[in-house]
Amino acid sequence: MRKSLKKILQYAFLIAAFVVAVFPFYWMVVGATNSAVEIVKGKITFGNQLGKNFKTLFAEYDVARIFFNSCKVAILTVIGQLIISSMGGYGFELFASKARDKIYGIVMMTMMVPFAALMIPLFRLIVRFNLLDSHLGLILTSLTSVFLIFFFRQSFKSFPKEIIQAARVDGAGEFRIFYSIVVPSMKATYAAAAIYSFMTSWNAYMWPLIVLQSNQKKTMQLLISTMSSAYFPEYGVIMAAILISTLPMIIIFFGLQSYFVQGITGSLKQ
Amino acid sequence: MENTTRLPSQDREKRHISAKNKYGWFFISFPVIILAVFMLYPIISSLFLSTMSSRGMIQKFVGLRNYVKLLKDTVFLQALKNTFIFFIIQVPIMLFLALIIASLLNDKSIKFRGLFRTGIFLPAVTSLVTYALLFKMMFSLDGLINKFLLAIHLISEPIPWLMDPFWAKITVMIAMTWRWTGYNMIFYLSGLQNIPDELYEAAEIDGANKLRQFRFITVPMLKPIILFTAITSTIGTLQLFDEPMSFSSGGVTAATIGPGNSLLTMSVYIYNLCFKYMPNFGYAATVAYVIVILVAILAIIQFKLAGDKR
Amino acid sequence: MSVKCEIGNYAVHSGDKLKKEETVVKRLFSMLLVVCVLFSIFGVTVMAGGKSGKITIWAWDPNFNVPVMAEAKARYQKINPSVEIEIVEMAKADVEQKLNTVLASGMKEGLPDIVLIEDYNAQKYLQAYPGAFADLTKKINHKEFASYKNELMTLKRKIYGVPFDSGVSALFYRRDILAEAGYEPADLNNITWDQFIEIGKQVKKKTGKAMIAFDAADGGLMRIMMQSAGEWYFDKNDNPNIVNNEVIKEGYIAYKKIVDSGIIKKTSGWNEWVASFNKGETASVITGCWIIGSIKAEKSQSGKWAAAPTPRLNLKSSVNYSNLGGSSWYVIEKSKNRAVAEDFLKTIFAADQDFYQKILVEQGAVGTYLPSQDGVAYTKPDQFFGGQKIFSDFSTWMRKIPPVNYGLFTYEADAALMAVMPDYLAGKIDVETALKKAEEQLKNQIDF
Repeated sequence: MRKSLKKILQYAFLIAAFVVAVFPFYWMVVGATNSAVEIVKGKITFGNQLGKNFKTLFAEYDVARIFFNSCKVAILTVIGQLIISSMGGYGFELFASKARDKIYGIVMMTMMVPFAALMIPLFRLIVRFNLLDSHLGLILTSLTSVFLIFFFRQSFKSFPKEIIQAARVDGAGEFRIFYSIVVPSMKATYAAAAIYSFMTSWNAYMWPLIVLQSNQKKTMQLLISTMSSAYFPEYGVIMAAILISTLPMIIIFFGLQSYFVQGITGSLKQ
Repeated sequence: MENTTRLPSQDREKRHISAKNKYGWFFISFPVIILAVFMLYPIISSLFLSTMSSRGMIQKFVGLRNYVKLLKDTVFLQALKNTFIFFIIQVPIMLFLALIIASLLNDKSIKFRGLFRTGIFLPAVTSLVTYALLFKMMFSLDGLINKFLLAIHLISEPIPWLMDPFWAKITVMIAMTWRWTGYNMIFYLSGLQNIPDELYEAAEIDGANKLRQFRFITVPMLKPIILFTAITSTIGTLQLFDEPMSFSSGGVTAATIGPGNSLLTMSVYIYNLCFKYMPNFGYAATVAYVIVILVAILAIIQFKLAGDKR
Repeated sequence: MSVKCEIGNYAVHSGDKLKKEETVVKRLFSMLLVVCVLFSIFGVTVMAGGKSGKITIWAWDPNFNVPVMAEAKARYQKINPSVEIEIVEMAKADVEQKLNTVLASGMKEGLPDIVLIEDYNAQKYLQAYPGAFADLTKKINHKEFASYKNELMTLKRKIYGVPFDSGVSALFYRRDILAEAGYEPADLNNITWDQFIEIGKQVKKKTGKAMIAFDAADGGLMRIMMQSAGEWYFDKNDNPNIVNNEVIKEGYIAYKKIVDSGIIKKTSGWNEWVASFNKGETASVITGCWIIGSIKAEKSQSGKWAAAPTPRLNLKSSVNYSNLGGSSWYVIEKSKNRAVAEDFLKTIFAADQDFYQKILVEQGAVGTYLPSQDGVAYTKPDQFFGGQKIFSDFSTWMRKIPPVNYGLFTYEADAALMAVMPDYLAGKIDVETALKKAEEQLKNQIDF
């Protein structure tokens, strides 16, 4: 009896959290089917403007190309960040030494500097490297995520060192140990990091704004920002654009979350 | 390789250490080199900038006078105060909530876990434009929230959510919690995967209830990740920008960030100093370094509290 | 202790899974590699493109400035087919952020040829980035533009921009609601703020509707009040002039009167403000003429609106004509195609009368190019406004707006004044203290 009451409470809490979390998203979907005036007035039921909103969106903006730009930048950034940052986190944790800990401290400090303060010198660098108005400029500058180095290091802390020792005794090389033992068994960690990495890259706004110059190179966030800056924004069309720009993140999350389930403990069960 | 001429026993030890050392440098070299180029140079450059006062391209050296100016700057002091209020109240609530939801969701007997996970994570990917728009509507004087609270007789007068300095802060905190709880939950969930089920099963057999399991297994085992989320949330909150900006935007002529500047944060102030006001990049860099110092202090405190030696 | 034991156990088991995992990871990496290569190939093919005679324009607002520019581009390319024009559309804050970053970096790359700048920011950019913008004094006949626009873009007798849209302000009101309260359009012509408040009280009493939506964080009304008296936050030498400024004091008091009179509907932010009149909850709006697009968006209110001159302050210097917002085009001095950029602005924005008719009809853009304002579009009655010739009215009012030099620190001053507003409205401080506090803060802030 008490047990089932507990279960009910548990579900009630989760359902409440779920509803609160999902409602704005639902509203966004509804928004894409309504006109701007209806949205501003607070309508929360489905309307009949969906087709019109999407038509306007695709007629007025080169959405396909902009979407592709966002995908390109995000995917390449995620790959780079996962490889480089996890190596960094691994190196700092498993090969900790005085000198490297000092470097780690400096690396961590850089995370604390607000980006706005770095923008002008960073912009000069980009111009000198001839990377202005290129996606490469965006990818290169964000190839390493200090946040992820930190995250990976914290996660490697709980990785059982005995496995690594055992592999060393077997004569496996250090890089091989990392590549074929550590990486595969930290799937949940990599999945979480990939979600973070994709999200930040996909949502990046200030820096792409400065680096990218031409319409051809724009990313989704720049498009949405532009659209919503009107004296009278076309909210229905904006919602349609946001819907398109949110989908990849939901797909990525939905796809990667299975890795949480079949994490280390999952494999133990079989 | 040069070690081969040494004594065999010492030799093996040394070689092992130096090989280890070599790999240590190898693993960290990629991120460190990239950061040195794209972070260190801009950071040093902006540190230099913080000793200048500027009006666009016109600059003059003022040494530490920017720091003196800060102490007299009532707008900055207000931004500092606002930021700390957000930090002290919002971060603990959010992390605690995330931890609870994560441990509830880690219970294998719960159905539709994937759906719950996705749903609760959704706020983190919902566009800022959408959610700011919706929250502003819901929290308007005759919005959904007030209508609901009036209907259940919890309040007798509508709450002036975004029009009163106190309530404006509450609204933004609610919004931040809404947006980032699911996100932090993900890190906890990934950390929980590294805790073997057997631990809980053993505790169950020992007769420990869920609360005790949470207190004595989940929290200590997740400590590195909790520390991680605490520090990242600290950085995030001290650099808080999105919510104050979008919750206070009043079209063409919004003068203050929230009523009486009640939502003004240090990052928003930096932005204003650079782009909205007469561009004073030197002074803005000074504010940025104040944030760096504060975050560093708070991070050290958090490391100490967590008992992490490094 | 039990923790260690469990982990050791797990280590043994996980070894079995290694092989399978390894292949998964390998496949993943090879897939990613393919994606990388594909993307980079695509990237290279997209890169190619010509450059001769190309001008780039930065502008904001996809429903206003951008389509206006697109129209201008089409017209210019009919005359000069070889010129390529790219309009890069961004949010207003983004244009400002980019412009500041690039100009401050001292780099020649990364700038457009033409940029839209809000009038309130003009002096700031001109003085903060000397030599960045082209002097157009001799290239454009500025006499053909509304005089208040020229004033704000003049620095040391040189005029830098091409004036574009007007923010001529008006009292937009709902004929039907005002009639219900017993007011004729004539009753709203050339009134003072005090009269406005009295009318508002009657409206509230008779119809239950608020006279106006009011955002306490918004400095717009203050700007309208100041310009109606030809004043601003600063004196001629850009020093703050707040404590001893009669106009600001009068405006500040008017703010409190408006709030205390109970004729307002409190709103927060732009959308709520717009929604208040779209929903028909408020009887009037006092702002720049660019609001027409938002008013007309609610089609069911067609025929119910009207526009009257802006209320004035109780001061001799104050008139019923003022301005809020508006922006102008500027040419970048170091632009590679400066001559083309200047010719483009001159040919279209300072000569093409038909162009101004078109953008008035299509975008509701009220230009400040005076010769165009006798055109058909300007003199046509507007059915949404009950047949009133509002654009012809705007044109008349525009010519009477007192010129003001906005100086360097409009936004700083705005923030300083509005930051102390809540305390003043709540009665915690009096007007003198509020203005003194604001001036002190402003002085510290702009100290160089």
